[in-house]
Amino acid sequence: MRPGVGARLRAEPALALAIAILWVLIALFIVYPIAMLLARVFVEDGHFTLTGIAAVLTDRHQVVAFWNSLLLGTLVGVIGTAFGFIFAFAATRCRLSPTLIRLIDVAVLLPLVSPPFTMAIGYIFSFGARGLITYDLLGIKGAGVYGMTSTMTAEAATYFPIAYLALRPMIAAIDSNIEGMALSLGASRWRVFRTVTLPLCIPGLANSFLLLFAASLADFATPLILAGNQFPVLPTQAFLQITGLFDLRGGAALSLMLLVPALLVFVAQRYWVGRGHYVTVTGKGAGQAPFDSVTPVARWTLVSLCVAVTLFIVYLYVLLLYASLVVAFGANEAFTLQHYRVVFTEGLRVLGDTLIIAAIATPLGGFYGVLLGYLVARKRFVGRTTMEITSMVNYALPGTIVGIGYLIAFNDPPIVLAGGALIIIACYVFRYGATGIRTTIAMMQQLDRSLEEASESLGASSSTTFRRVTLPLILPAFFAGLGVMFIRSMTAISATIFVVSLSWTLVTVKILENMTELALGVAAAFSVVVVAIVFIVIFAIGRVLRRLRAAGASAVTGLLAT
Amino acid sequence: MKAGAHDAIGVSADRLSKRFTHAVKGEVYAARDVTIDVAPGEFLTLLGPSGCGKTTALRMIAGFEIPDGGRVVFGGQDVTLLPANQRGIGFVFQNYALFPHLSVFENVAYGLRVRGQAGGAIGTAVSDVLKLVGLAGYESQFPAQMSGGEQQRVALARAIVIRPRVLLFDEPLSNLDAKLRVEMRHEIRALQQRLAITTVYVTHDQEEAMAISDRIAVMQGGTIVQTGSAEDLYHRPATRFVAQFIGRANLIDARVHDAADGRIAVDALGHRFLLAHPRAGMAGGGNPRLLLRPEAISLAKVVGKTDELVGAVVSRSFLGEKIEYVVECAGEQLQVVRYNAGPDDLLPVQAKVALHFADDVAILVWDDEPKGHS
Repeated sequence: MRPGVGARLRAEPALALAIAILWVLIALFIVYPIAMLLARVFVEDGHFTLTGIAAVLTDRHQVVAFWNSLLLGTLVGVIGTAFGFIFAFAATRCRLSPTLIRLIDVAVLLPLVSPPFTMAIGYIFSFGARGLITYDLLGIKGAGVYGMTSTMTAEAATYFPIAYLALRPMIAAIDSNIEGMALSLGASRWRVFRTVTLPLCIPGLANSFLLLFAASLADFATPLILAGNQFPVLPTQAFLQITGLFDLRGGAALSLMLLVPALLVFVAQRYWVGRGHYVTVTGKGAGQAPFDSVTPVARWTLVSLCVAVTLFIVYLYVLLLYASLVVAFGANEAFTLQHYRVVFTEGLRVLGDTLIIAAIATPLGGFYGVLLGYLVARKRFVGRTTMEITSMVNYALPGTIVGIGYLIAFNDPPIVLAGGALIIIACYVFRYGATGIRTTIAMMQQLDRSLEEASESLGASSSTTFRRVTLPLILPAFFAGLGVMFIRSMTAISATIFVVSLSWTLVTVKILENMTELALGVAAAFSVVVVAIVFIVIFAIGRVLRRLRAAGASAVTGLLAT
Repeated sequence: MKAGAHDAIGVSADRLSKRFTHAVKGEVYAARDVTIDVAPGEFLTLLGPSGCGKTTALRMIAGFEIPDGGRVVFGGQDVTLLPANQRGIGFVFQNYALFPHLSVFENVAYGLRVRGQAGGAIGTAVSDVLKLVGLAGYESQFPAQMSGGEQQRVALARAIVIRPRVLLFDEPLSNLDAKLRVEMRHEIRALQQRLAITTVYVTHDQEEAMAISDRIAVMQGGTIVQTGSAEDLYHRPATRFVAQFIGRANLIDARVHDAADGRIAVDALGHRFLLAHPRAGMAGGGNPRLLLRPEAISLAKVVGKTDELVGAVVSRSFLGEKIEYVVECAGEQLQVVRYNAGPDDLLPVQAKVALHFADDVAILVWDDEPKGHS
């Protein structure tokens, strides 16, 4: 260690205190739950044992669930990346009108900011036993909507916008003059695409495959509704093991099987294609294509495909809205506001709970993200890299693991948080605050150190410099972090379903209850209300970011894709 | 805004060293035993190629880096361990480092606000200093709306408005285009003279250093190899490195013989020369070389046989006010610069020419790597 680091820490007690507090919080809310989860699976009567994991590995049904999860993740990764690429390519290379691009953007944003079931609910309204297409249009009686195909389609439709948002700046950053050069050398457009454009996109494609694979692997809500009995996957199996069979240990062991592929993805992302992440932050377009990258036929094919997919998503949301406004979708389609009445009477408490929790978790998570990101990026202290990596753990792990870890850790003494709001808030802060950390670090890396030195040379103390120079400049990262925190707080379920209680529950859990009680109209109404709230908040934060002259005004939505 | 010369303080760095750990090379010195003494009101430049440690030395003087060894003294006060914000410096950065979220006025006012000055006094001081750097009326602009030259003026105004005891510049002009660079260096010099602030300036541009400084310290490999006025360094370089870094140089293989009368005899270019300035005690390592500046050599057309030093013109570039020749002489290619005396002055390529230079313009230099360089 260099001389001076310790001395500087001693000279700045506030800094040392902040670091100490962060370590305590990380230990308590990230390390401890995971450790307790591992202990529950691997320790019995004080001895190490493999019986817990062996029970899972020898259960044919659970092994099938494991392979199903991998299969589903791979398919969603491939299909979602393909569609994401088509959208991104069309948006950057097909000379679409800005209005059309904006419409597409808004439409594909819908699944990203909705409660995780909305796509699945819409899917049932369209393709279920009384679905608009299956029953009304095709006249099929008792159509079987549940299974792998539906789950995969709904997940691909939900998550491909992530690939689109990650790939678009990347393709835009490819100087189209490179393509023009290849064209001028006599290559056909298809050959240019195959030999120039596509190879340049490979890191981005790999990255987006990993993102989608991880998202599908962790997705709990879609398979819970759409997978049915024939296609078990790990997150739902773990949930059913705990809530249905009250087998906490078995559920924990099941969730641990998710850990292996999730960790592989985390490592691959960080060390293999991790750099792609920065392209999405700093990437600047190389200007409008000076020539036509695609033939007219290819252009029309791509555009039609994009419009068709966009319309499909919009169609599912319109169904959702329609179902929330009729008595019983598919049976009695008379207009009614009854479902909304339920939402704003019986549902008011759960809506209030959710908003209170979001209102507390959002600033806390935003502050936590900026503080930790700033310290890790700018200050030298022992264990800095360890802190950075540890802070990402709850975010990188599937929510099911985190949720079960919290359930095990905070249900019994010494620390009992179960049943309260705090456990839900902590779960959000330490899971989704990670986005703020990453944004802040990326922002600090772009922020030249000489700005802080200039302030210092003018006589400002370390804290004045932070307050008057650093903080205003990382404010966009703070607001973007706030946006993500709020959206997630309103829509997440995979982790928090394990920590809700009778006294504190969430809209997403309520929607799930309504679904199982077949109160589809109320579920739809709840979903519509959540989407509306989230859209208002995104709009407001977008306004603030524009006020701050932030480089990326669309940062909030961009962050959902990381 | 005026600071009398009696306010100026001296700045000295005494054997400043800074090490860092290199992944391959292990422990490496970014700066080693850097010693300078800047007189009150003096303008001293640290000059050297990139990576020579000049910026590290400046940052230790500023307080941005804590030295591993040595002392920094401001006007008799040891400030080695004093943080930058308590040293009373003005620092001008290469990339300007203007606060992008603040207007020009607020950028300049920043240091005054930190010092808790009253609003009225701040307003007057800021508009005075903006007038001084030629930016009156720019108060409400933001840095992003300004050109590079304007931004550097704001940075300069921000540094001097707090009446620093010491003004420090880190390659302030290297992001500007050539013409603006020349203009700005005159302005910086004029301003420094007017305010009489002790100044340390870092650059890799030898012409800039010569134009702007009272004295120059040439750095190489983390250490200072020579300190002196521009004329000193040009006419009496301590090492071959200094000779090559300052101006252009012909360095000719030479053999040295003792000679009487305080003179020294040198064999070079197939001739024996008696040098007027032997630079006694300067003998360093490596082979001695005879240093001849291109403008010190005169050329004359030769017809027939002669005893004089004779060469042949290899190439020439006509540059208007001057003509640059390459002349081959006894196996050495020599650069020669002549001022254009008229249309008939040009020597053709392949012309046989006699070379003349005065005894007192040629000196000997040695390879002589500076001590401590690894």
